[in-house]
Amino acid sequence: MQKKIDTTYLDQLRGVIHSSKGGWIVGEGVHNHGYSMMEDFVGHVSYMQVTVLNATGRLPDKNFTAMLEAIFIGASWPDSRIWCNQIGAFGGTMRTSPSAATLAGALAADSRAYGTYPLVEGVSFIQMALREKQRNLSIGDIIAKEHKLHPSQGYIMGYSRPVAKGDARIPALERTRKKLGLPKGDHLKLAFKIAKYIHKNTGEYINASGYVSALLSDNGFSALEAGRIITTIVSSGVMACYVDTQSRPAQSFLPLRCSDIKYTGKPPRVLPNST
Amino acid sequence: MQKKILEENMREGAFAKHLSSNIWLEEPSEDNPYLAKSCHCHGYDLMELMDKCSYEEMLLLMFQGELPTPERKQLLKSLMVALANPGPRHPATRSAMCAGVGKTDPKHILPIALNIMGGDHLGAGEVAKSMQFMHGMPKQDMQNLVKNLISENPRVNQEEDWVIAAGFGSHFGGIDPMAQAIAAKLAGLPGAGKYLRWGMEFSDVLLSHGLGWRIPGVAAAAFLDMKISGLKPWLGIGLFQLISAPGLLAHGLEYHLKPLSAYPFPTDDNYIIESHAKKN
Repeated sequence: MQKKIDTTYLDQLRGVIHSSKGGWIVGEGVHNHGYSMMEDFVGHVSYMQVTVLNATGRLPDKNFTAMLEAIFIGASWPDSRIWCNQIGAFGGTMRTSPSAATLAGALAADSRAYGTYPLVEGVSFIQMALREKQRNLSIGDIIAKEHKLHPSQGYIMGYSRPVAKGDARIPALERTRKKLGLPKGDHLKLAFKIAKYIHKNTGEYINASGYVSALLSDNGFSALEAGRIITTIVSSGVMACYVDTQSRPAQSFLPLRCSDIKYTGKPPRVLPNST
Repeated sequence: MQKKILEENMREGAFAKHLSSNIWLEEPSEDNPYLAKSCHCHGYDLMELMDKCSYEEMLLLMFQGELPTPERKQLLKSLMVALANPGPRHPATRSAMCAGVGKTDPKHILPIALNIMGGDHLGAGEVAKSMQFMHGMPKQDMQNLVKNLISENPRVNQEEDWVIAAGFGSHFGGIDPMAQAIAAKLAGLPGAGKYLRWGMEFSDVLLSHGLGWRIPGVAAAAFLDMKISGLKPWLGIGLFQLISAPGLLAHGLEYHLKPLSAYPFPTDDNYIIESHAKKN
């Protein structure tokens, strides 16, 4: 017989929850990372500040979260051609609930092509790049090293876009950063230098994800924290696309005839007798 | 935090101390009480079920607590085959394709598509509403019922499908031949009961109005005929999502392997921003 396994650790947790974040004590209030939700937060701080606190454990200042809000606005396009938004539009045309459609679209942005993954990878890249720069590696060498790490990728995360070249959000975000008095930190300075180098060599330019990666890095956030902060970044644009198709006839969003699908499989055939 | 007396008091005794289940029994291992050494589904040993039971039987056992008759098992098997793929043009499938081609983490493809499949138009929401509609309807006179439904649910416009009752109406403006064929095939099985038979009669009356079965109605009638004990419409929601999952996943994964450019992206000329939505 197998030796009895010591389950003391699990036994102590049966029916008990330990929280390092906070919680609600009925009659006392809601605690959150050492603050009182009702006394310290409601009416005093922004929703975005609490979002960052819940994602990272740190309460940022209002200027930074005003910038973050601008970043979220920059990802809230009501264009139903964008993949996550299109899922919201399909939800509207099928008459799902707004929550189902919006969360399905937000979940789709957990993607390698846009949304979460490029930002998480972008933060890792720019933080690595600054470390290498401080070790006197040239920008060309830093880029070559990154290409070697991801040989099949063909581009640097944060410095290319799938649909268009360039990104209209960069000047708008830079204008906002300056207006809010947020300094241009070492990561952002380096990001623009890398962008200039890549643009000269490939014609590609920094995108919003590359910009935000550097900005978050300058404000002390890790790649993991960045991914948590932007979890719902596309949800407002998804919602708009849901509302648009939900208010039109059902299934009228991008209808397809049978012949609109180009079938490339096996021709119709007879099932073998054994099945 | 300063302790204050707020307008809140914990309700006493409002919550259970333990979870409970009629469905699943796990017998703990001698050496580790967190690991099960055997599992029973409604009393049947999982190892024995693996030997003797089909997936359809397991599914019905799970929900109704007893193994199904061979007729009901065949009915579910045929329904599961018929509805295993909503097809590549269905909005839920296209959500899966969007997630796939958009390089969404593949673990999210199915949950995304199932979320969309929950819709009230051709989705699980319509299945539940159709089950509610059909429950009790078979006793009414068919001609009168259709007449009343048409007067209560007049056609809104030519662009929109005319659904006079959940699960019955037009699809893309016409009668869906696949929904009629699947319903007829299921209604001919020994496991078909009063709901599928009633639906066939109902759809015959609807034909002259250019209406008929819609796929959610077919699923709803078949679920009702399976006579799952204590069957409620919301069970139909989940079952419909479950049985449509293979096709949703297959189409999503097919696109996951393709480049972003393999999925149509309408040009700006074909993306018309209506004037009220445009900044002049």
